[in-house]
Amino acid sequence: MEEKLREELIKLFESKLSKPMQMYLETCSRCGICTPACHAYASMPQAKYTPAYRAEVVRRIFKKYFKLQGKIAPALGAAKVLDENTLDELYEAAYSCTGCRRCMVYCPFGIDTQQIMSIAKLLLIGANAEPELLTMLADVSVSKGEGIEDMKESFMQGLKRLEDQVLEKWKMEAGEMEAGETPIPIDVEGADLLYVALAGAHSIIPAAAVFNAAGEKWTLSFFEAVNFGAFVGDPTKTKLILDRIVNEANRLKVKEVCICECGTAFRVMKQMSGSQPFEVSSITDVHAKYIREGKIKLDKSKLNLPVTYHDPCQIARNGGVIDAPRYVLQQLGADYRELSADPKYNWCCGGGGGLVAMGDETHDFRMKSAKVKADQVQQTEAKILATACENCHAQLSDISKHYNMDVEVKYLSSMVADALIQ
Amino acid sequence: MSDEINVDKVMDLKGMPCPMPIVKVSKGIKDVEVGQVIQAISTDPGSLTDFPAWARTSGNEILKTEQTEEEFVFYIKRTA
Repeated sequence: MEEKLREELIKLFESKLSKPMQMYLETCSRCGICTPACHAYASMPQAKYTPAYRAEVVRRIFKKYFKLQGKIAPALGAAKVLDENTLDELYEAAYSCTGCRRCMVYCPFGIDTQQIMSIAKLLLIGANAEPELLTMLADVSVSKGEGIEDMKESFMQGLKRLEDQVLEKWKMEAGEMEAGETPIPIDVEGADLLYVALAGAHSIIPAAAVFNAAGEKWTLSFFEAVNFGAFVGDPTKTKLILDRIVNEANRLKVKEVCICECGTAFRVMKQMSGSQPFEVSSITDVHAKYIREGKIKLDKSKLNLPVTYHDPCQIARNGGVIDAPRYVLQQLGADYRELSADPKYNWCCGGGGGLVAMGDETHDFRMKSAKVKADQVQQTEAKILATACENCHAQLSDISKHYNMDVEVKYLSSMVADALIQ
Repeated sequence: MSDEINVDKVMDLKGMPCPMPIVKVSKGIKDVEVGQVIQAISTDPGSLTDFPAWARTSGNEILKTEQTEEEFVFYIKRTA
């Protein structure tokens, strides 16, 4: 590695050294409590899949360049020089971690391995050694935002094709509709709620039907919710993708920004948008509220198979949405079976941190590391596995095929839309 | 459908939710030579914005977009 690049990477490392981060890097007591907490380790017991081992790769670089002992006597503190081999280790550490933070819940010091891995991801970006696919997706997302004026017509054309499917789920008369009499209102200033969906139809159709059924004054965002900048760990792109939604919400003067079933999108908006004049909610929270307030009614006879629910890590453990999905499932009349006694300790699906978006490249690791998740689901004997995150849905569907699980993976929001009583 | 454009590779992306169509095409385009054309068939409306943005950032060229009742068809020339 050229010295100039190494210096640039050390500066990037330094940019991440907040007080909490320094605490995470200096505190580990090697107690090993985090070891069985990681789904990858629990499924494939190898030292490299322990949270402490992953963090140690970063920690040794920290010792080498930011601690006196590492500078003058690196061998004593096992300090590590930043070179090509170290980049390979950083890659393996960062992309075998899904950022689920289950280890943090167990750690007596609350060390946040996901935060430590954010250093690894940033160094990989600085060295052009990050997963090419994730950067491509982040760049496409940024580009869509920059070219939004040129793309509005295409987007609206796409929406027009979905209208009949929305109306199939919830019929509306012309006078009942907002924004130019469309079942998918968009760019409505003064709407109460801005719904930020994914690019796919599956994220828009059921949500639109439920909003319309509840009589919500809503409008759809021009932007997609998913933040590929966060997946690849690029703070600049993360902020660009986040800010355009924040700006749209403020321009439209909405009171609430509702994020679709996407864990990363929800957590980034909830925890990184700062103080804003609107609230941030998950679509599951909103659906639970509509049911509680009697704004929608659900047919309880539709679900006649046992159901379990996978808590998406970024929505439940890291986002606090735990009671709402259980309430919704209860109101759907489900024979509900919990995956774990305390949802905070639920196993990750194994697809977070950008691994699902990396597709076939990560398939083998994702399947092997999700063994504990597959076992957990099968023990419930549920026939329907509900979840509220696209990433988890894709991973759980892959697991279901891989392990020949007799279970149908469903989006919770779709289950709500399908049970609406007109 | 492809009378005017000589297609070198067809990619059936029907049923895939976004962003999988551009994930697949970004890999698939490496299987054709510069100057050759991929016909990508998608059913997700998100493709209408995803493909132009992907082409812009990757430096490839969308020669034509067709829409049928159920499908979106993109003719993409590898230029990068």
